[in-house]
Amino acid sequence: MLRLGEVTKTFRGEEILSGIDLTVARGETFGLCGPAASGKSVILKVLCGLLRPDRGAVVVDGEDLATVGEDRLMAVRARFGMLFQNNALFDFMTVGENVAFPLVRRGGVEPAEVERRALARLRAVGLGGSQDKFPSELSGGMRKRVGIARAVIARPDIVIYDEPTAGLDPVTTSKVYDLLRRERDETGATVVVVSSDVDALLRFVPRVAMIYRGKLRYDGPAGAAADAPDEVVRQFIRGDIEGPL
Amino acid sequence: MSERGKPGSDGQRRRGAPFGDPIALIGSRAIDLAEEAGGIALLSVKVLLALLPPRISGRDLLRHLYRMGVLSVPIVVLTAFFTGGIMVIQAGIFVKRFGAYGLLGWGAGYTVFREVGPILIGLMFSGRVGSNNAAELGTMTVTEQVDGLRALAIEPVRYLIVPRVLAMVIAMFCLIIIGDLVAVGGGMLFGKLLLGVEFSSFYHSLVDNLKPWDFLVGVIKAVFFGLAVAITSCHFGTSVKGGAVGVGRAVNDAVVAAALAILISDYLLTLVLR
Repeated sequence: MLRLGEVTKTFRGEEILSGIDLTVARGETFGLCGPAASGKSVILKVLCGLLRPDRGAVVVDGEDLATVGEDRLMAVRARFGMLFQNNALFDFMTVGENVAFPLVRRGGVEPAEVERRALARLRAVGLGGSQDKFPSELSGGMRKRVGIARAVIARPDIVIYDEPTAGLDPVTTSKVYDLLRRERDETGATVVVVSSDVDALLRFVPRVAMIYRGKLRYDGPAGAAADAPDEVVRQFIRGDIEGPL
Repeated sequence: MSERGKPGSDGQRRRGAPFGDPIALIGSRAIDLAEEAGGIALLSVKVLLALLPPRISGRDLLRHLYRMGVLSVPIVVLTAFFTGGIMVIQAGIFVKRFGAYGLLGWGAGYTVFREVGPILIGLMFSGRVGSNNAAELGTMTVTEQVDGLRALAIEPVRYLIVPRVLAMVIAMFCLIIIGDLVAVGGGMLFGKLLLGVEFSSFYHSLVDNLKPWDFLVGVIKAVFFGLAVAITSCHFGTSVKGGAVGVGRAVNDAVVAAALAILISDYLLTLVLR
């Protein structure tokens, strides 16, 4: 289980997260949305221990990441798979090496098995035969799919997707979410998705939260978000022009 | 790590007020300098700790050695060749005036081995390798590749920085030896062409008057210069913020800081290694 308890994070005197309380159950698929620069990516980085909160608790299966040492943090991070907003593919590696990298670094898997699994993951994301290309040779959607393959290859307990469809056309967006759905069903991992593409997100997750100016404004069923009592949430989810946003 | 280039960061606000209170400006620049010096010192300690015990991927080290060392050979050879020639031209004025043709090899060798060779090759190395390294690490930082490593439970200093630092130090060690040999060759050739000094005369002047220590001083300096270029470029590369503009500024800062580090460490090493 993942839990953020009263998490506050400040950058250069500006409070980016203000007392965020959030719980994600094991095996749950959870969505997080909000306007640009509202603190979504910061929450993800706090969740997987890439950023430490100034105050509050970040609990992963009973262990508070806010208080553990760097060595322990590394061990906990190994349980996460993460797709970054910019994919964060290593541009000095081929696509195949990128996908295989988490397994190679973790060790304990024979090279032939690493290669077999990497090729299988690439085929699963529709990129069979692309293993010798470099990320710079791929389109945005293809890079995103490579990032997804890398995020899940080591079968992490928790997978975090930061803007998995940013900048993609509607068809590619549907394909990416279909891929996320298949990966989730196959692995049973806990999934946290951050996205500004509200329509696609609400179709994918049963539960969604909305953050605005560092504060949680909604946390509930995805289907009910458009009718939330908070006017800010309603306007954002519906995409209305008129309103407080 | 500092937040160079990040919009709204203190560093940028301080840099963005050139016509403000001069005392405040001097103070803010001093704070910037202290931040960078602290960051460089901290990175040096982290690199040292990451080397205990050394767990380095041989493949990564070889890749960096090839990019940073082997590919630098042509520019170092060119620099060294003409450096040897310049030393002969400069010495030629006095050699002719006093008829001291027998000292040409010693004069050229002494200055090249101890001072000019390490400094010029160090600066060339900084321009070619240090700037490239800062740009590469800076790009990796702004495109979240460094965070990507951390998310995969990989310590970026151990994985990204240590092989680069080792490669740069080893590369500079090798390049200075190649550079010294080429500079001597260049000196011999220009001595013959410009002053009519025979190769054998130049050679004997060099080996009879110089001690191995003169050569070693340059090698020791080069190793320190390689370390200076490595640490400064890695520091500025990994502390970059603010996209392409930030990367550009980091490269600029890395080259300037490396040049300063080379000159200051040269002064200190010259005092110690006299």
